[in-house]
Amino acid sequence: MDEVTRRQVSDAQLASVLHNLDPDRDRPADVIVAEHLSVGFAGQSVLRDVSVALPRGTVTAIIGPTGSGKSTFLRTLNRMNDRVRGFERQGDVHLDGESIWSPGQDLLAVRRRVGMLFQRPNPFPMSIRDNVVAGVRAHGIARGKQLDVVAEMRLREVGLWDAVKDRLHGSPYRLSGGQQQLLCLARALAVGPEVLLLDEPTSALDPLSTEAVESLFRTLTPALTLLVVTHNLGQARRLSDATMLFYDGQLAEHGSTAQVFEQPRDARTARYVQGLVG
Amino acid sequence: MRQRASIDVIGARRDESSSRRLRRVWAQREESLWRVGGRVATLVPVGALVFLVAVLAVKAWPAVKVNGGSFLTSTAWLPGNTYGGVEHVHGVTIPAGARYGAWPLIAGTLQTSAIALVFAVPVSILTAFALTEGLPGWIARPVGFVVEVVAGIPSVIIGLWGVLVLGPFLARHVYPLVANRIPDVPVLKYLGGSVGYGEGLLTSGLVLGLMIVPIIASTTRDLFLQVPALPKEGARALGMTDAEVARRVTLPWVRSGVIGAAVLGLGRALGETIAVAMVSGSVLGVVSPNLYGTMTTIAATIVSQLDSAATDGTGFAVATLAEAGLLLAGISIVVNLAARAIVHRSGALGAPVGRA
Repeated sequence: MDEVTRRQVSDAQLASVLHNLDPDRDRPADVIVAEHLSVGFAGQSVLRDVSVALPRGTVTAIIGPTGSGKSTFLRTLNRMNDRVRGFERQGDVHLDGESIWSPGQDLLAVRRRVGMLFQRPNPFPMSIRDNVVAGVRAHGIARGKQLDVVAEMRLREVGLWDAVKDRLHGSPYRLSGGQQQLLCLARALAVGPEVLLLDEPTSALDPLSTEAVESLFRTLTPALTLLVVTHNLGQARRLSDATMLFYDGQLAEHGSTAQVFEQPRDARTARYVQGLVG
Repeated sequence: MRQRASIDVIGARRDESSSRRLRRVWAQREESLWRVGGRVATLVPVGALVFLVAVLAVKAWPAVKVNGGSFLTSTAWLPGNTYGGVEHVHGVTIPAGARYGAWPLIAGTLQTSAIALVFAVPVSILTAFALTEGLPGWIARPVGFVVEVVAGIPSVIIGLWGVLVLGPFLARHVYPLVANRIPDVPVLKYLGGSVGYGEGLLTSGLVLGLMIVPIIASTTRDLFLQVPALPKEGARALGMTDAEVARRVTLPWVRSGVIGAAVLGLGRALGETIAVAMVSGSVLGVVSPNLYGTMTTIAATIVSQLDSAATDGTGFAVATLAEAGLLLAGISIVVNLAARAIVHRSGALGAPVGRA
């Protein structure tokens, strides 16, 4: 294209081209929608009437005191709570417009699309390379020589390749805690999730590793939608576009991170973000 | 009055200090009891092993000299003429015509133990999986208890059941299903042919397998319970099924322990005597031509032949049984060392037990 024709492309045409290039163009703008979600265990109510819509490609921080239901909310989104004893729920959660509990939904597919990273790194007892491709193998996404390609790509993506390329067949347990968490992230990314649930992902890491992992999270959007449960208010401010504050099983506040931290609507939020309660 | 009170106080102090001294003395005595007693106690099993192997070796020595290297390869089992005629070989007096070879016993021991392991290891792992993940607690607990009780059933009872019930049942209803479908080609025909009446190689191996399942299963269950929840949860969150979690995470996590449990079971299978003596058919001098034939093992031979060996006035038959016993001890030790080597190799990814 020369100078003249390029100028003739209108903004509307550009927008339409970009729209057609967007792989998510036919999907709802909100990747996860919770509708009046209430969750309890053996009669004990943990979450009450949570309704929220999470826009695709954003980072949402989930904050709140211990026992306020943040982790329960997170773990409900990929159905990790389903088999906990006495699990009961009302309301619904939609992933790309379809209920995650609808009979047509495959549980394993839901978990492939909604990945998870835990409080502490949890590598599997297999080589570093096998850890990265463990999920890929289970879902039959790739096999044979492709697995090496996947492993290298994902390890590069999390910035671990140079550190481990000479010991791909070695034990993951000899890596540092931060490196192990990055390995777990590579493993979660390898199956190609749309949403990543992060349950206090840096709480077991030192400040330097935390910074490395955090800066990586920011590179994952807008391809992925991130939900981060954190006790670290600084992390919530640094990382997120929007913030949800849970208080006693209820969604006390949900808004842009700037609004939640600077002009909280709820009195409990104000006290919490100022560090007056914890 | 005041003086008396102060004396009381001083007296009390004296009592206290002497009781403290006493306590220290007892503490030192207890300390040395644990240290010295501990050293003496460890000598018991070590000493017993040395003594046992030494006595066995001395008893077996004449037989080792006479039987030579062919003891390991020969299939003869001829007690010779035990009523008079003797011959002298390498300075040892033996009944005329006595010839012994242990190859059928060695082959029988290794074959039955291999069959037992092939049967017991998968059954045990699946049992452990069911007890820890598959079944609800109110079923798993009593079933787990039953599994442990089975481990305590005397082997003679299992042998009796094997020869009266299990063997005939398998020979009539199960073995033919396999044997009759096997074509007469090399290697494969080992699985075919005559299935006999239920006494023999496969029945012995399966009975041994049943006997070692409880040991391996209960150990494996305890190992599975030690696997931390976090890696398993990670695997589930990645979209793995329960079976995949078991295969890719739980089992590898405790792999070396499971191998150790299997070796424990193998040790018992190699040495198990009376049950095998009852279901093997106790046929000397023959290596079974197929999976079902009658045979015997080292341990079963020792127990079934000891009476008749005692009638050998030269003592050569008893010496030969001692040599067979030495051989069994040697096989057990080699198997243990091999298993250790495997555990060492499989631990190359780091021993993750205790990490989360």
